Amino acid sequence: MTIFVQATGGFFSWEWVVNHLDDIWDRTVEHLMLTAIAVAVGMVISLALSVVALRYRWTYAPITWFTGILYTIPSLALFAFLVPITGLSVLTAEIGLVSYTLLILIRNMVAGIDGVPPATVESARGMGYTDRGLFFAVELPLALPVIIAGVRIASVTTIGLVTITALIGQGGLGFFILRGLNLFYSPVGTTQIVVGTVVSVALAVAVDLTLVGVERLATPWSTRRAVT
Amino acid sequence: MRTHARRTIAGAAIVAFALIAAACGSGDDGGQKEGPTITIGSAGFSEAALVGEIYAQALEADGYQVERKLNTGTREIYAPALEAGELDLIPEYTGSALTFLGGTPTPDSTETHAALRVAWEPKGIEVLDYAPAQDKNGFVVTQANADSLGLAKVSDLAAHNGTLVLGGPAECPERPHCLLGLEGTYGLTFKEFRPLDAGGPITVAALQGDEIQVGTMFTSSASIFANGFVLLEDDKGLQPAENLVPAMRAEIIEAYGDDIKQSLNAVSSKLTTAELTSLNKFVEVDGEDPEKVAAEWLKAIGVVE
Amino acid sequence: MVNAKGRHMIEFLGDVAAWFGDSANWLGTTGILNRLREHVQITVAATAVSMIIAVPPAVWLAHRRIGGTFVVAVVNIGRAIPSFAIVVLFLPISIRLGLGIGFWPTFLALLFLAVPPMFTNAYTGVAGVDPDLVEASRGMGMTDWEVLSKVETPMASPVILAAVRVAAVQVVATATLGALVGWGGLGRFIVDGFAVRDSVVVFAGALLVAGLAIITEVILGTVERRVVPATLRSRAEGVESVVA
Repeated sequence: MTIFVQATGGFFSWEWVVNHLDDIWDRTVEHLMLTAIAVAVGMVISLALSVVALRYRWTYAPITWFTGILYTIPSLALFAFLVPITGLSVLTAEIGLVSYTLLILIRNMVAGIDGVPPATVESARGMGYTDRGLFFAVELPLALPVIIAGVRIASVTTIGLVTITALIGQGGLGFFILRGLNLFYSPVGTTQIVVGTVVSVALAVAVDLTLVGVERLATPWSTRRAVT
Repeated sequence: MRTHARRTIAGAAIVAFALIAAACGSGDDGGQKEGPTITIGSAGFSEAALVGEIYAQALEADGYQVERKLNTGTREIYAPALEAGELDLIPEYTGSALTFLGGTPTPDSTETHAALRVAWEPKGIEVLDYAPAQDKNGFVVTQANADSLGLAKVSDLAAHNGTLVLGGPAECPERPHCLLGLEGTYGLTFKEFRPLDAGGPITVAALQGDEIQVGTMFTSSASIFANGFVLLEDDKGLQPAENLVPAMRAEIIEAYGDDIKQSLNAVSSKLTTAELTSLNKFVEVDGEDPEKVAAEWLKAIGVVE
Repeated sequence: MVNAKGRHMIEFLGDVAAWFGDSANWLGTTGILNRLREHVQITVAATAVSMIIAVPPAVWLAHRRIGGTFVVAVVNIGRAIPSFAIVVLFLPISIRLGLGIGFWPTFLALLFLAVPPMFTNAYTGVAGVDPDLVEASRGMGMTDWEVLSKVETPMASPVILAAVRVAAVQVVATATLGALVGWGGLGRFIVDGFAVRDSVVVFAGALLVAGLAIITEVILGTVERRVVPATLRSRAEGVESVVA
């Protein structure tokens, strides 16, 4: 009898993996897309809020306070709470995912800009840069390492959170994890959990390394390696 | 100028990132039937998702375009979604659905089905023909506990009021055919209720580990027999008729015409409790893909070539 | 003038307040007090065990100045592991090990969450101690062990304690996932509320978890302030972007 598979059957079935490479690929792409949208939207919102915070210093505290509270809300609760309002949709998932990126992105954007040496700013002004030109041509590029460090953390965190969206009908690799949760007495179930986990981690590491590469390309003048 | 180039690269990388996001690949659109995509949902347990998958493939074979949103939680989540148009078709269980809508089902299949039809019509939902297959809430215990505590019927549990732990899906305490009925109809009291899953492996594990003594499972589940559990007889008739039936939005039927009901009704006519249980076994016990099991069964009954 | 949406919100918040006001919701195995107790217990246990697993090896490695790149990789990979996946993964493992459902899968998953940042920060903290200071201590005749225990570890304490604080708060939030694998804790309100579409209970659950997270942050922050001398405190600030 196949039921007590814990004793007889295995934990992992390569056969299942080989038969489902297509599905695994589809779900990985889905996962990446959900992540990309969240981080992209998060960056836009964070950039706007960072500009505000840099301009009007007193807003930094309330902004980080608010985004910090968002960050403390357990993701499961945020998604569960949004479902009756925005349905079992990508929108619900994205609202939640974007919320969790804001704190780290804003903090790193502001810290990055603040970290630009005042002397550099002074000489740029001396060269005739306007405020706007200064921001985009001088401060932002010099702040890039710290900003990208924030994007890295936000991306990796988001990839992890996307798995939870399977519980509200979205997909990504969380689909396999949820399927496995409903089926873990069979090796097919446990294999799916392992696949969902391993591919998520691999995806996160790959994205992390890619962003490290982007940072190196974008800031050839920095001889020191980024701290994180 | 150099800074400009570097900035551009970083900017381009970010734009590329966003472009990947924007490039939503849509599915293939080779459907022969012109009309709205049919979104199929289901309750969040494997049998419901399997039947949903069967409906999906039956419709696809007829040339309809289908989107799957299976495993959409509990009735509190998918029923409003159906009524609101977020879902277009779901597999339902006549008795529980009728109770949810405020009606009173009976053990009679035809009666309950007719009442469900009437209850859902004003909300724009058409209930199609029902299948002979039924899946009711079943309360199970391990063989060991059945022997030592003398349990064969649900009413036998009364002798152990207050000492046993009941496990089941999170919504069980709110369901007339679950904990509410056990307390009301059978006069049972449990030491504790533990929310686990919908008759799935977590419940099985909890029973095997004796973390719960009574588990809520589904009568057509293959796991009851496969794990050597004892299904307690529903001697006071708490469970009503629970025939499987497709519930579909009337708007979709209007858009396509009555032909759309053909395949679904053909599926229902061939779906008996025995068939359903064996399909469940393939998925739950043998670990086969629901998609494959659905496809093979549809071929076997001649709904799909 | 409060518009319809505003009125809706106020009504909803009123429902939430009423839920908290109902004493039946506080008592019993499924009540707030018991779930809170379960949640606090697992947080304390997971944080304490993680510290024991993470800190001593990290401190020793840093003292010997070995394993630097490995340590950075640890935190990066640790952050890449989705907690939901680990909780679910540990469920069948826990069952097969005879540990049952609920507590153990959740606890083990929380260790995976808390150990990497604690490990990395303990290492960076000790490795970052001013080498001149270490030299001077050796020059004063301190043994290797004394350098480690009397100089390096105290100097690294701000960074280590900051990591413990941040990890503990994350543990509080992540322990909610345990409700998906048969455990209790405050996550029960969220998961069970979601199942029956009771937004009031979901919201109340979220409030409780957020509240506990904030209390944890405050308590551990106070401990940090007491234990760490003012001069060393500014070091800890830079930690946030690594650990958070």
